[in-house]
Amino acid sequence: MPTLTIDNRPVTVPDGTKVITAAEQLGIMIPRFCYHPALGSVGACRVCAVGFKEGPIKGVEMSCMVDAQEGMVVATDDPDAVDLRKHVIELLMLHHPHDCPVCDEGGHCLLQDMTISGGHGRRRYAGAKRTHLDQDLGPLVQHEMNRCIQCYRCSRFYQQFCGYRDLGVTGIGTRVYFGRSEPGTLESPFSGNLTDICPTGVYTDKPSRFYGRRWDYERAPSVCIHCSLGCSLTVSARYRKAVRHEARFNAQVNGHFICDRGRYAYAYASQPERPRDALIAGRPATLAQAATQMSERLAAIEKGTGPDGIALMGSARSSLETQALLARLHSEKGWRTPCFSADDAATRVVSSALNTLNATNTIALTEIEGADTVLLVGADPIGEAPMLALALRQAQRDGSRIITVDPRPVTLPCAHDHIAVSGDDLATAVAHLIIGALEPSREIALDADQQDRFKTLKQETRDIPAAAELRAIGHALTTAWRPAFVCGTTVPDPDVPPLMGLLQALVQTSCMWSGLFFPLPGANTFGAHCLGGSDALFEPLLAAVEAGQVKALVVVENDLFSEYPDQQRLAAALESLELLVVMDCVPSAITARADIFLPTQTIYEAGGHYLNNEGRLQVATPVIAGGLSIMDTGGGNHPPREFREDIPGGTPRPAWQYVAGLATGETDPPDVKPLLDEALTAGVADGERVSLPSASREWPSIERIGAGPEGDAGGLTLIESAATFGSEPLAAFSTVLAELTPLFGVTVHSETAQRLGWRAGDRIVIPDSAPALEVVVTLDDRAAPGVLLVPRRIGIDRTALRRYMAHLLAE
Amino acid sequence: MGRMTVAELERIKTEHAERMAFTDKTYLLLCGGTGCHATGSLKVKDALLDALEQAELGATVDVIETGCNGFCAMGPILVVHPGDIFYQKLKVKDMAEVVQSHLVEGKPVERLLYKDPAAKKRIPVQSDIPFFAHQMPRALRNKGIIDPEQIDDYIARDGYRGAARALLELGPDDIIEEMKISGMRGRGGAGFPTGMKWAFAKASPSDLKYVLCNADEGDPGAFMDRSILEADPHAVLEGMVIAAKAIDAHKGYIYARTEYPLAIKRLDLAIRQATEYGLLGEDIFGSGFGFEIEIYQGAGAFVCGEETALMRSIEGRRGMPRPRPPFPAHKGLWEKPTILNNVETFANVPQIVRKGGAWYASVGTDTSKGTKVFAISGDVNNIGLVEVPMGTSLRSIIYDIGGGIPKKRKFKAVQLGGPSGGCVPEAHLDTPVDFEAIAKVGAIMGSGGVIVMDENTCMVDMARFFMDFIQEESCGKCTPCREGTRRQLQILEKICNGDGEPGDIDTLEALSDTIRETALCGLGQTGPNPVLSTLRYFRDEFEAHIHEKRCPAKRCVSLLSFEVDTEKCTKCGACYRACPVDAVEWKKKELARIDLEKCIQCMTCFDKCRFDAIY
Repeated sequence: MPTLTIDNRPVTVPDGTKVITAAEQLGIMIPRFCYHPALGSVGACRVCAVGFKEGPIKGVEMSCMVDAQEGMVVATDDPDAVDLRKHVIELLMLHHPHDCPVCDEGGHCLLQDMTISGGHGRRRYAGAKRTHLDQDLGPLVQHEMNRCIQCYRCSRFYQQFCGYRDLGVTGIGTRVYFGRSEPGTLESPFSGNLTDICPTGVYTDKPSRFYGRRWDYERAPSVCIHCSLGCSLTVSARYRKAVRHEARFNAQVNGHFICDRGRYAYAYASQPERPRDALIAGRPATLAQAATQMSERLAAIEKGTGPDGIALMGSARSSLETQALLARLHSEKGWRTPCFSADDAATRVVSSALNTLNATNTIALTEIEGADTVLLVGADPIGEAPMLALALRQAQRDGSRIITVDPRPVTLPCAHDHIAVSGDDLATAVAHLIIGALEPSREIALDADQQDRFKTLKQETRDIPAAAELRAIGHALTTAWRPAFVCGTTVPDPDVPPLMGLLQALVQTSCMWSGLFFPLPGANTFGAHCLGGSDALFEPLLAAVEAGQVKALVVVENDLFSEYPDQQRLAAALESLELLVVMDCVPSAITARADIFLPTQTIYEAGGHYLNNEGRLQVATPVIAGGLSIMDTGGGNHPPREFREDIPGGTPRPAWQYVAGLATGETDPPDVKPLLDEALTAGVADGERVSLPSASREWPSIERIGAGPEGDAGGLTLIESAATFGSEPLAAFSTVLAELTPLFGVTVHSETAQRLGWRAGDRIVIPDSAPALEVVVTLDDRAAPGVLLVPRRIGIDRTALRRYMAHLLAE
Repeated sequence: MGRMTVAELERIKTEHAERMAFTDKTYLLLCGGTGCHATGSLKVKDALLDALEQAELGATVDVIETGCNGFCAMGPILVVHPGDIFYQKLKVKDMAEVVQSHLVEGKPVERLLYKDPAAKKRIPVQSDIPFFAHQMPRALRNKGIIDPEQIDDYIARDGYRGAARALLELGPDDIIEEMKISGMRGRGGAGFPTGMKWAFAKASPSDLKYVLCNADEGDPGAFMDRSILEADPHAVLEGMVIAAKAIDAHKGYIYARTEYPLAIKRLDLAIRQATEYGLLGEDIFGSGFGFEIEIYQGAGAFVCGEETALMRSIEGRRGMPRPRPPFPAHKGLWEKPTILNNVETFANVPQIVRKGGAWYASVGTDTSKGTKVFAISGDVNNIGLVEVPMGTSLRSIIYDIGGGIPKKRKFKAVQLGGPSGGCVPEAHLDTPVDFEAIAKVGAIMGSGGVIVMDENTCMVDMARFFMDFIQEESCGKCTPCREGTRRQLQILEKICNGDGEPGDIDTLEALSDTIRETALCGLGQTGPNPVLSTLRYFRDEFEAHIHEKRCPAKRCVSLLSFEVDTEKCTKCGACYRACPVDAVEWKKKELARIDLEKCIQCMTCFDKCRFDAIY
């Protein structure tokens, strides 16, 4: 831990810290272009020169290249260093076009700042500027190579950090070129970060191009709600329209970056189809009329049926405020327990997963980067939680072994061992891992009861094709120092997470550190679980509707049709209701059916609290007041002038307000923390993890492991799972992401394809589908045989698809 | 063959003793280096074999294609043994005569012998030719004698005896000590003591270590390493085996540029032969020590000769330097301790181990021991490869060995050390070849390129040429080298074009400072050297270009008017006869006149006019 002095201030830093980082700890930002905390030092730009006055090194050196050492005295304003810095900036500006007025980076351009602060103003050298041809890199990132200052951040980020190869550097000398071998859409789902890390305008945000300057934007810290990881964002909005997400540093969750799904998902909030007015029976009404009618009709129904006649439906994408008030509505009025998902299979797994987490075994996303072995069971990071894949990549770069056990052909941007196991065999697979971890010698450490249970486990565990390999991996886990265990919550059955918990607990005894990480289906699934709705299943609710026991249903921010597979049954049930109240911010199949519709605000207007997949409480700050964008109300004219008392399109209110109106009539946002305290019996602060129960030493129930696959349909199973683009309900409204969404397809093992008579590239027209659905066949022998894998896709006819697949399975 | 032993080496040596002494047969040693291949030695060889067959001499005469003889300007070269008779500039049609006259009738062919330009007489014996007489071949001891494609030839010249000693008799510390005693300094240019480099790598604990040979010779005008690899590849392999033993490495790479196909072919053959003999691979000489070597072909980027960039390139990544420390001896190839030495360094190692460091240190200066190989080119009579003891003066190399400046022109400067080096003017020609002494006069020893320039060389143009090379070959990683050298080139181009402005020299110097102080790697930091070193000695030429719009050497086309000075013109008509586009008007006893409409500014007339009458 050397102590050094930078600009007369002492600082003590860990061994191996670079001087540029040490200065940051004092709040001194030494100028830099190529250095980036996540990408490390490379020594290319030469602007971070500082003067070393005393100590082991003397003279002007690059602060990103020198390790902080005891006794160093550093002057960041050393005249020689300042002079050199100025010269280097001058050299960079020789080629850089003077196009700041039309460059989208202007206003938040590091080069612009450095040119001004460095004092460079007069060009001393003649000669033409070198020019390059730009490339079309797809809908997300705009390329403008002439502005490049060769800091190599993009190629280092894209190739080394992310593990994708289609963008990089070619050429030498002044012909150095950063781009693809030929124009084309970037393949990496992390490509948008290029716009964040580029210190100048080579890569700029394409969808928001020419919309405004940094200083024009209203900006606020927010949270990404397009998967369960809860990455930190900064939202930029202008003219009442959110137009840009940027990564916001979060040391526990996302580090410096975010994925493209999170970055470009905002379009739903300003889409022209967004419902902005209250509707009664499909006809516009004022908010007051709709709210009054809602209260009156619900009261009338309650009078007739009792509180049981009214059911509540929340969602995993609502804020904790909304979820909490739904829970309170239930407790105050006695209406049915709110249900937060129509996907009961997932709810069961989530419930079992979150009951497995405890105060000592839960880990944060960035902690996975430090693991030396990561075992993923039934988790497909790129589709379900893209930033998890990036964390795995960092672990692997550091020498970690990554193992995926999955029926799907999981692809990761890093080397990994993949073991294909059919979905029904995942629990058995983990059982084999446990046996491998305990045999041949470690079972002695178990107490008598545990030994009994282990014996049962061994007896009950069926043999599966990958058993030997799994046991070897299980054994290898006991020699890992820092193993991390990741388990998905959509593909595995509910037995798997507790077994993963057991495996982790067993391995924990022999390693330095280990932990569990469960990606969840929705942004606030953890919140729904905490606020008591986790056990409420949808199937009984639907049955109660069908049986006429439930006469009114209040659906808050949930398009049931995208979650519940049997659309016809759902439609019929909804038809039988006396009253269907829907509150949402996006149009969907269910909003069209609502008797009373109340428009809700988005996260940009309402803000709110969210619990991410590990239970970390995070807050999104509102960034705009709401209303139609003046870009839209102006009809293209600027300044758009329309004079009225209210904001056009400004009717929507936060969903929690409507719910509060039914329960307590509150108008201020509820404080979620006491509500969480109540639910979890402990305090929690922003940015911190909620308190989880302390570790239990009990073995989970293992009765079902030996049961084998249920409903064996000739060994064929259908798996619908999340894809990077097209699966998440809000991001699916983004037109730029729609361009990146691949054709809808089914992936199967070639053996399975042969059985079904399919060939790669075949297009299967799904009969009776509306809208008409065509499925492209892809073969992948890394998939488990017998699995038909399709992505979850918002807006497709899942009923027809499932009917067709069921018919295949039955044959 | 199985495992090699010292006895077996001795047996091979005895078996080939007569061949090496040239006592059993007549040996025709035909140069098969790249230079002679280019001048047609392969066709000459075919003609020679035909002639021998017709003369029915096949049984008593052996034709051996050797590596580079060294006297490249005279190729194709044939040396006849016994007798050491040196034939030069051979053509296919000469071969029947050589066979008939020399081999059948015993009379050497007078007209094909070397003619001394000064004494104007023929010198038949190779070792009497001044170009060879002043040399001391050590690294090049086998050149022109052995067949580089025959491992037995190398063994017959005591090959692999150094490796045998290193593996069977010496410990790693003994080898390193021997290297330290020899005073050997890296022949790649920087002159870092080889023994010390090895000691650092030996002291770095690691499961894996690597020995790398830098055969990425990239300086314009340098061909030492190529010639060594073509003439004596086993010497390099043996040197690497010894180095591997010293640091306990078991894997080596030779990084050679693809532009050296012959060197790579011979290296590849040598590796296969050595492996077959058990001189590479597992358990060499039964010592339990194993070492293998792989050739890695570089695509020819100049920067890949820089050690950290070279390692990146072998790793399959973009060849760009990284800052040091960590030094390769601690973290090199794939982050493992690595030593990287130049071809010439390795070629010297076997003899140092065989004969002892003291033997090697017996010649040279206080701080620079042994010999150094140079490639002399440019405006000099004898272009080729020479090896001289350290301490020899530059004047001796250029005049005694190089034979002086052709066409009675005056010497102007000599460029040492390639683009990163510098030029040395007449006043410093007596500087001895010594790392420190050369640095003192503003150049560097470098890898050994010696480019001689006569009075017709414009030093501004010369600086422009080297700057063009440097900016073209900048890897593009760090700003000062990438942008700064390009701007320096642009300023030099401007000056050469007659657009120089007052202040340009200051700007060049200021830029040089920035680049030297902030560039990342050695190549970048020495990038401004062509500018600095020419400015140091030839500032007046820069000033003449800028202020008087005049090129004193008459090379910068934009500053010439292509007119005839009527006072100087002797009406000889040399320009008229030489002009390729008939732009010169001349009649006997009349002044010449140049038609500027037709003139293509090719400078031919300037070169032909001996009276300095065209300006």
